[in-house]
Amino acid sequence: MKKVLLLTAVMSMAIAVSAQIKKPELMVFPSENWCITNGYYTEVTNMDYQQKVPAYREALQENTQLKLAIAKINELFAAREFPLEDLEQTLKNIDQERAEDNLTMSKNGNELSETPLDAISRVAKADIILELTWSVNDMGLKHSLTYILEAKDAYTGKSVAAVSGTGDPSMNADVAVLLEEAIVSRMDNFQNSLMDYFGTMQEQGREIRFDIKVFADNEAGVDLETEFGEDELGDIIQRWMAQNTVSQRFSLKAASETHMDFTQVRIPLYDDYGIAMDASSFAKKLQKALKKEPFKIPSKVLMKGLGRAVLIIGEK
Amino acid sequence: MRKIIFLLLGALVCLPMTAETAKEKKANKDTQAYRYEIECAGNAQPGSYLVKVWSYSKKASVAENQCRKNAVHGVLFKGFGGGNGCIAQRAIVNTPGAEDVNKTYFDQFFSEGGEFMKYASIVAGTTETVKVGKEYKVGNVVNVRKDDLRKAMEHAGIIKSFNAGF
Repeated sequence: MKKVLLLTAVMSMAIAVSAQIKKPELMVFPSENWCITNGYYTEVTNMDYQQKVPAYREALQENTQLKLAIAKINELFAAREFPLEDLEQTLKNIDQERAEDNLTMSKNGNELSETPLDAISRVAKADIILELTWSVNDMGLKHSLTYILEAKDAYTGKSVAAVSGTGDPSMNADVAVLLEEAIVSRMDNFQNSLMDYFGTMQEQGREIRFDIKVFADNEAGVDLETEFGEDELGDIIQRWMAQNTVSQRFSLKAASETHMDFTQVRIPLYDDYGIAMDASSFAKKLQKALKKEPFKIPSKVLMKGLGRAVLIIGEK
Repeated sequence: MRKIIFLLLGALVCLPMTAETAKEKKANKDTQAYRYEIECAGNAQPGSYLVKVWSYSKKASVAENQCRKNAVHGVLFKGFGGGNGCIAQRAIVNTPGAEDVNKTYFDQFFSEGGEFMKYASIVAGTTETVKVGKEYKVGNVVNVRKDDLRKAMEHAGIIKSFNAGF
């Protein structure tokens, strides 16, 4: 009896601990615009056209103002007990994966299957990217600073918070001082907007993107137009989505016999056991449903961070 | 007879005190009714806001004392517009009705010598007094320690912390 009670207590504690929502990972990046304007980019040929790709490592190594700005933003978030992921450290971790990625790329014949931003997001698993841009406006002897800080959901690509503005022209202040002032004075408003976003997420569920694809010539011999009773598999999946999303919130952006692209999918924060849900656990729930009678369809879940998952049906 | 004189003298001594309390009470009611003006007064040290607050009272000294309270009240519930080299800031407590819902807490917080005093200090030499009709409008630049104030509100459960729920 004692053992049972002890086990129940331990399980309750485990559920209580895991019932907290996974804390989003945030990371500050210089924006693409800032990198290109300041000459921190490399040019690559992609499908016959020249593409400018931000060179984050170079920017961090050579631009002190950028280092200062990132350090200041990190400091202000740490003061609110919300430490950010460090871009520089993440770049070091990427080195480890680079060789492997290059090998994959050469096999497929694709020179640029992943942008540097995607690579960093993948390695850092940043849920929210804080994009930083600033420029100095010279007006004779005076100069002012235009500053933009925008938070973007790394998986949905949506802008979730932003602050921007141009400071008063100054004759004496150094650019680094103007930059620090711009960051500090706008940080409260920025963090308030982010808090609003977190609040919405806690009320309306987590927003994810969810793709369903079909293995070509799969063993199960199914696609999204395969009929089960009177309904096609695609329709059955849509009904399942309506039953398993918060207030039936989701959009079907594109659908074909091989592909369904669900966006703005609001999933519950916790599953039936009180465990925090993310895109992959939501996808696994559908995977289990498809495995049962009468479908008996094997499938594979690909996790792309907390906010995006792909379910490929037909094979495991 | 002696008793009557004694009572009259006592009443005369107490009268200014009562009047003072009445003016302070009126000033407190003005604060609760947001009857003060708050504007940004420039860039402050990190963790603080520098605000200029205009308070009203029939007695200039009461209005001056009230400025500190109004500055904290303004940063908590009103926020302020931009200008003077700074940008507009939202109120720290931005849930509608939070002041009424937590009335007991805020009555204590804003009481004479209450906790609010920890978070605000008047910048010396910034007092401006203007006579407006029958009352005085007194302006003071006040330094409000907004980061500490926000932490106090989080600690009291009035607002959520930045990482609440995670």
